[in-house]
Amino acid sequence: MENLQALLHGFAIALTVQHLALMVIGVLLGILVGVLPGLGAPNGVSLLLPLTFGMQPVSAIILLSSMYWGALFGGSVTSILFNIPGEPSSVATTFDGYPMAREGKPTTALATAFGSAAFGALVGVILITFLASWVAQVALAFGPAEYFAVYFLAFASFIGMGGAAPMKTVVALAIGFAIAAIGIDTVSGSVRLTMGIDELLKGVSFVVAVMGLFGIGELLVAVEEELHARAVSSKIDWLEVFRAVGRLPKHATALLRSAAIGCWMGITPGGPTAASFMSYGIAKRFSRRGQHFGSGEVEGVIAPETADHAAGTSALLPMLSLGIPGSATAAVMMGGLMIWGLNPGPMLFVDQKDFVWGLIASMYVGNLVAVALVLLTVPVFAALMRIPFVIIAPLIVIICAVGAYSVSNSYLDVVLMLGFGVIGYLFKKLSYPLAPLVLAIVIGDKAEDAFRQSMLMSKGSLEIFFDNRLVTSLVIAGIALLLLPLLLQILQLLRGGADTRDEKVKVT
Amino acid sequence: MISRRVLELLTAVLTGSFGLAVIISSLDDGIGWGEAGVDPGTFPFLTGVIILGGSLYNLARGWLAEGVAVSRADLRRIAGLFVPAAVFVGAIPLAGMYLASAGYVFGVLALPKRQSLLRSLIIAAVTPVVLYIVFERMFEVSLPHGEIAAALGY
Repeated sequence: MENLQALLHGFAIALTVQHLALMVIGVLLGILVGVLPGLGAPNGVSLLLPLTFGMQPVSAIILLSSMYWGALFGGSVTSILFNIPGEPSSVATTFDGYPMAREGKPTTALATAFGSAAFGALVGVILITFLASWVAQVALAFGPAEYFAVYFLAFASFIGMGGAAPMKTVVALAIGFAIAAIGIDTVSGSVRLTMGIDELLKGVSFVVAVMGLFGIGELLVAVEEELHARAVSSKIDWLEVFRAVGRLPKHATALLRSAAIGCWMGITPGGPTAASFMSYGIAKRFSRRGQHFGSGEVEGVIAPETADHAAGTSALLPMLSLGIPGSATAAVMMGGLMIWGLNPGPMLFVDQKDFVWGLIASMYVGNLVAVALVLLTVPVFAALMRIPFVIIAPLIVIICAVGAYSVSNSYLDVVLMLGFGVIGYLFKKLSYPLAPLVLAIVIGDKAEDAFRQSMLMSKGSLEIFFDNRLVTSLVIAGIALLLLPLLLQILQLLRGGADTRDEKVKVT
Repeated sequence: MISRRVLELLTAVLTGSFGLAVIISSLDDGIGWGEAGVDPGTFPFLTGVIILGGSLYNLARGWLAEGVAVSRADLRRIAGLFVPAAVFVGAIPLAGMYLASAGYVFGVLALPKRQSLLRSLIIAAVTPVVLYIVFERMFEVSLPHGEIAAALGY
């Protein structure tokens, strides 16, 4: 009951003219970066970040989160109409969305995608409404050891469930941690890892990394794949929109299952991309029409879209209540929170009630605004895709350069950004995951502080991580997740071994 | 043409040398348990070790990779995007963000004759103006004006 009251108070904050206007601006900008290949939600949000420094934190977060929702929707538009995923998390939407649109049903595909996306987002927000303050309450009792255990669990789940090669995830994560350590050490005051370069004293901002990794890196991948926008008609048939949304309840099982997968992957930081792929794969396996997947099947659109948005929204739950972002974009937003002088984590629910509940209420409203706006603007943004890539590419490079520079007015950041671009290209090409790297840059310092404080408390003994039931179970869960890929590999080897033995038997 | 194996090995060597640099640098800061708690170099040292170890593993795995990663045509397209971008970034300290971005856009569009001269000129002129209005005016973020502008007294 207390939550509902707080939520109503939040609506009073979110439903002001100023905040509604910010939502519209945010969503439109979000759709724009979502549609443009090479610019995504993490980039868009980091680009806007320097522009929010003068705002009230709650207004700033409403603008940034609305941009996130817009980007999630925008990514699906290009996936369906052009077979070009505007966002990594909408890759799985191309599998059935584009064939459906090519068969002359673009409106059906878009409406189905937006409808199920809105459902996924709704489930995510409801989850946050009822769970976030409870999680925060539990977390209020956390000491440094528990915190470190939670960080450890978060990073372990990336390695165990992220879907990329485990060792590549480990390397990406550790690089992020090392980058976070560059600059002045907050505990001892000594200078670390600057290699004698004075400009590195202030550290390397996650914004610089995001601009390069996601901006330049994605551009390089896009130019290599030589994208050709072959659009199907982008006209919206409004009657069909309502008919398609009306048909959604028939797929209730798929919707609920995908939303559950999405929420799970959003909270345990697997992220929207992994969620959409996993949901698509599971839907394909369990659907009665599984063999038709890939040729324009309705559930093939529902599954990834619902999970993508459920994961996108619920990624904010651990960010708000624990200070651990569930996706790369959430990590950028959390970086923003720290810049605005807020301390992400359970204390937000005590000290910053207006901020937290204003944000949560705005998530309900913002997603509705996003659905309406994306439907209205599909033809406009589809036309944008017809601008030749050669014009868009240099503009994106300039935007990334300006974005990197404006973080702290440092030219070195622009050079670093370009370097991150090369890394981003190599990592994308060889399927190293980028999200853990960004996450580690953002929360690396906090994780290290938690570790060092626990060590101080225990006078250097690791036993503190097995001191009570809570911290022990967190650490053990983390270790279990770390060992999961190894276990699966062994299992596969055993089964593989058994298979070959069977074959041998058959041969003889 | 770059094979997948070469690309995997290159990346692993790159990450590995970063890890090594982190290890060496954090050894200077001191590792282990000191009087004031955990020494500042400890955490980076551990991450460095993890990076190096993981990179060695990826190096070994990368040796087994097969196939072509980047074809000659791909490489040309990538260079076509990256080289001008790098020149643009390199030109910023001298020419400033505005001049450099105008020159960059014009160069990329007009020189390979991808767009008509007039169109390239217009886009090249509009870009810095928009940048100026959005950043310098609306949000009061000053972008670098460059040495040329400084010499002219701006």
